[in-house]
Amino acid sequence: MHDYGKVSRAGGWLDVRRRKLGMWAYALNRITGIGLVIYLYLHLGILSLLLRGQAAWDSFIALARSPFYLALDVLLLAGILIHGLNGLRIALTGFGIGVGAQKAVFIILMIVGAITIWVAALKIFHV
Amino acid sequence: MENPFAEESKSTSAWLWQVFTGVGLVILLGLHFVANHFVAKGGLRDFAEVVAYLRNPVVLCLEVLFLLCVTTHALLGVRAILLDFGLSEPTERRLDQILKVVGVLTVGYGLAMTWMVIR
Repeated sequence: MHDYGKVSRAGGWLDVRRRKLGMWAYALNRITGIGLVIYLYLHLGILSLLLRGQAAWDSFIALARSPFYLALDVLLLAGILIHGLNGLRIALTGFGIGVGAQKAVFIILMIVGAITIWVAALKIFHV
Repeated sequence: MENPFAEESKSTSAWLWQVFTGVGLVILLGLHFVANHFVAKGGLRDFAEVVAYLRNPVVLCLEVLFLLCVTTHALLGVRAILLDFGLSEPTERRLDQILKVVGVLTVGYGLAMTWMVIR
């Protein structure tokens, strides 16, 4: 028999409906984290094209300069910034720094992240 | 290398390593991203540029450190998520062993690939 209790407890963080901002921050950190782990292994897989020589790598590079791949780069950067900035807040809070100001720190960091993503997107698309 | 958090409990030690590698990643990933996507002409390096880039000893050290940090951080994150399932102690020990093997394979694969590209 399956233990659905364990599964629902383990996946409970995914359901952020009617939850406070802290739970949204927690879920956001985990979702971006899972996405980045998947990307890490995809990235290593793509890098293995280097072993097939110049033609294989350079043809991939030509493909990676297409708007679709550039949009994926922006998505990747968004994931990194959200996870990284939120992670810094979690680390500071874990050491007892800024615990009372967590909500404000989260909002400020996400605004910084959004501005950085916007500027980077303009740079990536050479606007 | 001696574990600086060895006196802490296992979960605290894992959390501290996650923070330690996370802070390292903020710096190393920042450098990796800027060097490979913003400094490189056209946002990406062609084959010859990748080889020349990796043959720089400073870059090589930073990229290897980056690989170590990102793998450790990622697998500790996976561990934290899986521990939420309320695993028994033997299952947790088995999970730790599996993640260590995955980590060694990941870093080993990255190092071997880098060596084959720059040799």
